[in-house]
Amino acid sequence: MWASQFLASVFVQTTPILLAALGTMVTSRANMLNVAIEGMALVAAFAAIAVGQAENSAILGFVCAIAASVAMALMFGFVSIVLGADFIVAGLGLNILAAGGTLFLLEEVYQNPGGLRPDTFPDLWRVPAGSLHWLPVLGPALESQSFIVLVALAAIPISAFFLYRTPLGYALRAVGEDEPAAVAAGIHAARMKLLAVLISGAFAGLAGAQLAMDRLHFFLPDMTSGRGFIGLTAALFGAARPWPTAGAAFIFGAFGVIGDRLQLFQAPSQFVLMAPYLAALLALVFARWRATARARPAAVVGESR
Amino acid sequence: MPEDVSTPVLQLLGVSKQFGGKVALDHVDLDVESGEIHVICGENGAGKTTLMNIVAGIVRPDEGEIRIAGRAVRLADPTDAARVGVGMVHQHFKLIASMTVAENLYLNRQPRKFGFVSDRAAMRAGAEALIRHYRFELDPDAPVSRLSVGQRQRVEILKALGFDARLLILDEPTAVLTPPEVDELLRIMGQLKAAERAILFITHKLNEAKAVADRITVLRHGRRISTRPARALSEAAIALDMVGREMRPPHRTAGPAANARPVLTVSGLTMTTANGRRLVDDVGFSIAAGEILGVAGVDGNGQTELSEATAGLAAVQSGSIVLNGRDVTAAGVRERRRAGLSFIPEDRLDRGLSVSMSVAENLCAGLYRRKELVGPGGLVRARAREAFVSATLRRFDVRGGSPSLPVGRLSGGNMQKIVIAREMEQDPAVLIVAQPTRGLDVGATEFVHGRILAAADNGCAVLLISSELSEIFALSDRIAVMFRGRILSIVARGEATEKSIGLMMSGERAAA
Amino acid sequence: MTRARVFARLASALGPVWAFLAVLCAGFLLILAISSDPLLAYRDLLLSNFASASNFALFLNRLMPLLLIGLGVIFSFRAGVFNIGGEGQLYLGAIAAASVALALPNLPHALALALPIAASVLAGAVYGWIPGALKVGLEVNEVVSTLMLNFVALLLTEYLVTNPLRDPVAYGAVSYVVPHSSWLAEIPGLPGSTVGSIVAIAIAPIAWVSLFRTAWGANLRAAGSNMRFAETVGVHGKRLVLQAMAISGGLAGLAGGFYVLGIGHRFEQNFSPSFGLVGLTVALLARLHPIGLVATAAIYALILNGAAYMQIDTDVPRSLVALLTGILVLIMTMRPRRGPAEA
Repeated sequence: MWASQFLASVFVQTTPILLAALGTMVTSRANMLNVAIEGMALVAAFAAIAVGQAENSAILGFVCAIAASVAMALMFGFVSIVLGADFIVAGLGLNILAAGGTLFLLEEVYQNPGGLRPDTFPDLWRVPAGSLHWLPVLGPALESQSFIVLVALAAIPISAFFLYRTPLGYALRAVGEDEPAAVAAGIHAARMKLLAVLISGAFAGLAGAQLAMDRLHFFLPDMTSGRGFIGLTAALFGAARPWPTAGAAFIFGAFGVIGDRLQLFQAPSQFVLMAPYLAALLALVFARWRATARARPAAVVGESR
Repeated sequence: MPEDVSTPVLQLLGVSKQFGGKVALDHVDLDVESGEIHVICGENGAGKTTLMNIVAGIVRPDEGEIRIAGRAVRLADPTDAARVGVGMVHQHFKLIASMTVAENLYLNRQPRKFGFVSDRAAMRAGAEALIRHYRFELDPDAPVSRLSVGQRQRVEILKALGFDARLLILDEPTAVLTPPEVDELLRIMGQLKAAERAILFITHKLNEAKAVADRITVLRHGRRISTRPARALSEAAIALDMVGREMRPPHRTAGPAANARPVLTVSGLTMTTANGRRLVDDVGFSIAAGEILGVAGVDGNGQTELSEATAGLAAVQSGSIVLNGRDVTAAGVRERRRAGLSFIPEDRLDRGLSVSMSVAENLCAGLYRRKELVGPGGLVRARAREAFVSATLRRFDVRGGSPSLPVGRLSGGNMQKIVIAREMEQDPAVLIVAQPTRGLDVGATEFVHGRILAAADNGCAVLLISSELSEIFALSDRIAVMFRGRILSIVARGEATEKSIGLMMSGERAAA
Repeated sequence: MTRARVFARLASALGPVWAFLAVLCAGFLLILAISSDPLLAYRDLLLSNFASASNFALFLNRLMPLLLIGLGVIFSFRAGVFNIGGEGQLYLGAIAAASVALALPNLPHALALALPIAASVLAGAVYGWIPGALKVGLEVNEVVSTLMLNFVALLLTEYLVTNPLRDPVAYGAVSYVVPHSSWLAEIPGLPGSTVGSIVAIAIAPIAWVSLFRTAWGANLRAAGSNMRFAETVGVHGKRLVLQAMAISGGLAGLAGGFYVLGIGHRFEQNFSPSFGLVGLTVALLARLHPIGLVATAAIYALILNGAAYMQIDTDVPRSLVALLTGILVLIMTMRPRRGPAEA
């Protein structure tokens, strides 16, 4: 049924974006704009393929992917929070480091700057085919999805619970909303921020692992292609609240799938590929337009310039 | 818990603190008894806030000892302070606006279910119990963002008291309160005093200090100058200790001319928010050349909006602003300045200056249309600019460094002098000045007041907006009171008393 | 200036130099570890640019876009806008120049040069103005908008060069060669170079003067450091920000135009080895000072080109430089926070 097929593609395309969105949402709550999510996901993708191939184990590849991105996050957090670097510049630096580092390893270790394409690659655990046939539309769409997709979906309510129902979540939100107030209550701001960065590193790891290990089974330089940034946009659009953020991520992912479908009708591939980025940008512009229009009072006598 | 009542609740012995070479506190001793209201007076920069931050665990002292109920303690962070029974009510509230009253009260000390889940029911119950015990009227589930300033302060107080605090520190608590809210605060303090709590109260308002204190300690330049029973002290004596010399309140040499023409006329000015709430409601007044109109009122009643609208920084929904006969309601800032308007904004760090730019650049900002500063092609005349800058700095007695220093390094008083220098240097016809001495010490305040009076003597029409009643009374020829966006009335200085104005500031009109 | 002030100025200027030297050392150690001929690798990395006239020409060719994009970054950052869109503005400028040159083949030399260049500047300026307007008018986060627009520009130009502009005879996704009347002259004595590099170097002091010695520049920096302050004193801050973004985009677009008309002589897909990002990096390394930028851009052009030679001659991959760049940016930003350099 085409609806299930469509939904299945949406899940695949959206999951990396959703994970990046949730990761940057957590850091946004601590008042940081995490552009490094892109680089952390890239490093995770590389680790997933490299280790997965070397050890012929999907689970080991997965674990190393998370470990790699969390390690990057730790370094990033240390440089920016403890050593006081500008968060955005350090984030860009980390992205450069990730891209350069993975390319360097490709050239130095694998002698192939074009990418890492193992002949065989172990597959992730997937939802068994036919196990969810009793669930209309959603069931078939979820069948054969990698377990990371399920983790991503579960992460939405889990992150909501974490932010709003746990003491750590409260502390994190306090630091992001009013740091002096949080400090006066005895909360360690730097520790909370570091925690937020590490959490986003874990999410980035999941995103990178999903990207490399689900359908593709190979690593290309720059394979993240801005998905991390699109996730960041989704978090901004959703005002760093879990459900709206997830919704935005799904919309952007859907645009990607629609674009792929359109390609079948001979639309030039580049315009199709543009769709998610344009959608993300237009969504953000629209959200800001609504916010500014709402705050503007009616009929003005003298508009001062 | 029974305590030996003769041991002071708090003792500070030889406390010292430096911030990067600058001495903030110099071997300060202090003791506070239980059931005592101990007031700390001092100018800005005297070290009051630093001292309180040390007692509250926010800052660690370089030297000295802190004893609570006779026992020496080390306070590494605010949680330690809370544990030994010290609570602080900050001048700028430390509340998380999006969280509820209960959530704020329990911030960082939440009861938990299963070890990692917040027990919201327990928080709500605990908050309710605390609120009832002190007979405050607060809804534990209300988000702080929806509370009034007075209510927020009560949450701050509860937060400080909540967990068996024996010492409560209040940092300039009346700055944001209306007179009836001040009375309510004093009632609460009386209640606490009767329950044998100790209170440390910081203020720079001498009349308040006299009204509530048992003893008054004066700090100056980080040193404790004196500690004496309040009964025996006069306000003048306290001020003398604070400043170290006699104060010379400035005064006007001449009032406005008898039939001076109005220079600034505002009529029917209304400004609304997007959902129709009136921030400024049908405001009208006229100021003549050489006259100072003081607008009194507690912060947040539309004064900020009024000042920005008159300066050209905010749009109005209806009404008109006429400057020297020209209708400038639709005019931009530059046009109004060309017509002779100057504006000293209420927050020098927000609007008045750019802290990362140099003194010279701040002084010359916006002045680059002048032929003597800018030559052909828009190139700045470097030497002429240098001369202008040094002459202006000298004229306005700005101290603290060279013109190329980033302005953020100057003291608050000198920063304000730069704003004043820039705005008054061109002898404006109309001067709008908001909260001119906020955060300034007595010396700087004297200087600023002198300059405002001098401008008026020179024929400038001054719109003075201030929440400090003493300042309004010191400078104004006429006094207007602003409440909830409306001007309740305008009276001549001679006919007003602090009490009548104070009543109007809280919305009650004086009996006819 | 007093001696103390001279020392202070030198110290703050040298700050990034320490970071750079530290990373260079790390790079040397890495080369030592992985290469069988480290000395040759070092020599290639640092000196190969001066080995011949054509090598030096290639160095200048690399310097040109870094310098122009870096200057653009300086204008936008000084105006308070985190413009990361240099890559996209570069590509649009390049495609605009190529399109105009190809569309109007029979013009006299002066026009055949002027029109495409004007088109490249205009295209870049518009593409820089857009995120500026979104920020000023709607408070749209400029980091996100410029990042998204980069991808859009890359894909758009990719489409154009693989379809309408594609040269069917040539290998790869490249456009037709632009008519010879539109070719920028070489610097005499340096085969393969372009006078565009000289123009780029000449623009640096002009940028410095306009930012630090004119009323416009002073007002722009005021708006960039505190917009509310600028509004209060009567500066048209928003207008200036838009102008700065247009200039910023225009400079990147100009780099694209110079590249197409002076170096590649055609539009090639993916012709930019991250000029946008590297341009941003060298501008930040120079602490947003136009003259300092000439030095950092030159150093970067030096080692980026050197890395290519190094890869040819030895077994050290050129991506080493990319790796080191990432480390350098991280180290550089973690110095005790000093703001942009004063004039």
